[in-house]
Amino acid sequence: MMSRQAGYTALRWAAGLAMPVALIAAMQLTAGQEDMPRYVVAPTDIAATLWQLLISGDLVDDALASMFRSYSGFVLGAVLGVAIGLLSAVWRQAQAFFDPLVSTLYPVPKIALLPVIITWLGFGDVSKIALISLAVFFPTFINTLYGARGTPVNLVWAARNMGASRVYIFWHVVLPAALPQIFTGLRSGLALSFVVLFATEMVGSHNGLGDMIIRAEEAMRYDWMYASILTIGLLGFLSDRALLAIRRKLLANKYPGEAR
Amino acid sequence: MRQRIFSAARRMLATLYPLAVLAAIWELLSRSGWVSPRLMPPLEKIFSALLADLANGELIFHTGVSFTRAISGFGLAVVVGIVLGVLMARVRWFEWMFEPIFAFGYPVPKIALYPVFILLLGFGSSSKIALIALECTFPIAVNTYFGIRAVSARLVWSAQNMGAGSTRIFFKVLLPAALPSIMSGLRVALPLSMVIVVITEMIGESSGLGYYITYASASFMYASSYAGVIAIALVGFIMDRTLVLIRDRLLFWEPSGAAQASKLSY
Repeated sequence: MMSRQAGYTALRWAAGLAMPVALIAAMQLTAGQEDMPRYVVAPTDIAATLWQLLISGDLVDDALASMFRSYSGFVLGAVLGVAIGLLSAVWRQAQAFFDPLVSTLYPVPKIALLPVIITWLGFGDVSKIALISLAVFFPTFINTLYGARGTPVNLVWAARNMGASRVYIFWHVVLPAALPQIFTGLRSGLALSFVVLFATEMVGSHNGLGDMIIRAEEAMRYDWMYASILTIGLLGFLSDRALLAIRRKLLANKYPGEAR
Repeated sequence: MRQRIFSAARRMLATLYPLAVLAAIWELLSRSGWVSPRLMPPLEKIFSALLADLANGELIFHTGVSFTRAISGFGLAVVVGIVLGVLMARVRWFEWMFEPIFAFGYPVPKIALYPVFILLLGFGSSSKIALIALECTFPIAVNTYFGIRAVSARLVWSAQNMGAGSTRIFFKVLLPAALPSIMSGLRVALPLSMVIVVITEMIGESSGLGYYITYASASFMYASSYAGVIAIALVGFIMDRTLVLIRDRLLFWEPSGAAQASKLSY
């Protein structure tokens, strides 16, 4: 019985790894051959380049510049989104202003403002951070508002019945009730922040991972290109996992089911 | 009847008033002279640029190009995403092969692969459409997968009990029950398609709205550049509302989609 279980798990792992392994093997075998284009680079070469760039510190500088932009933009947009979202949930005038505005502009790609924001704020970090925080604001705001508004009314009544003040209800009933959905908003905001970061760095920048990808492609150093693509992908992935870990920590003792 | 017209008008006013306030602030800033009128041209200039570029067909051409790319990539993603999602939910070895790819690939910014797509497919529409399709496939496939897996087994059992075959169960039970989830995947993916098309057109391209606004602001024609932003906003907005209309038609038994604007999943 036990061994059958183990065989089952092994089969599952093998199936999951089949496609990535096939892709890596195909690149490794065909790279450098006569009739293959130059941009097919052996994964071993990419790994060697990645290691070299890490040691020399070139990659680290660009990665740090990108991380600074994306995290500052994310934090700014997230704080604004949560704050204005909560404000709109408790103050009707704020909701009357922000809710229709955000719902209308939600499907509009904020990235269209990139050239405009560059003319306002220049090519430096400020314009990039501003655009990233704008993109993060929208999903965070909407999810915070709907999360707070979705607080079970029974809980509010119960708290009020026991003599809780409005402020106490806000901090101890509404906010915890909204938290799961706030994190849903933050998570889609985080994913967006990396897309916008990449766009701003590709269009006008002299450092950062997006710029490095472009520089490498222009110099036909395809191994650099893959190394920086891997880095930006890894950063996006790890940031998402970090957010999930925070979420689990914050929600663990409140929503055993939600936190997973 | 009159009451209905009144309440509809009031709802529209309530939606428009924040936009009007923003427009008034813009106009005030632009006329006050605190901000350079070149950076914030008065609305009247923006609208005359919009009308002029609409009249000479330039804006319509670029809008058409962008819209065609976005909708082709999105359409491709709908087909691929729903098929992959259904297969993942129904076929075990397929789930083993693809579920890890979607779980790990979901938070990775796929846009970073754009240079690779350019190398493979060249500049022009095909690399953009392929990237849009890739980016949009993720939310659609994941939502389809979870939607079908979440269908209550009792529904399937009762259909089986009444003698329905597996094809019939799929089309009459599983797919309708998963449709709300599939539609919310589409709702996440559709704005993404516009984001990706605008970004890719900003980088080395000579047509499309992304190119249009980049070119206009690089040549200091800021009013035209804002006109381009308005065009992109309108296309994104109309696409989203059309999808919501289709959704409400298809899912007549569910409450309207507009209410749960961004109930994102995964």
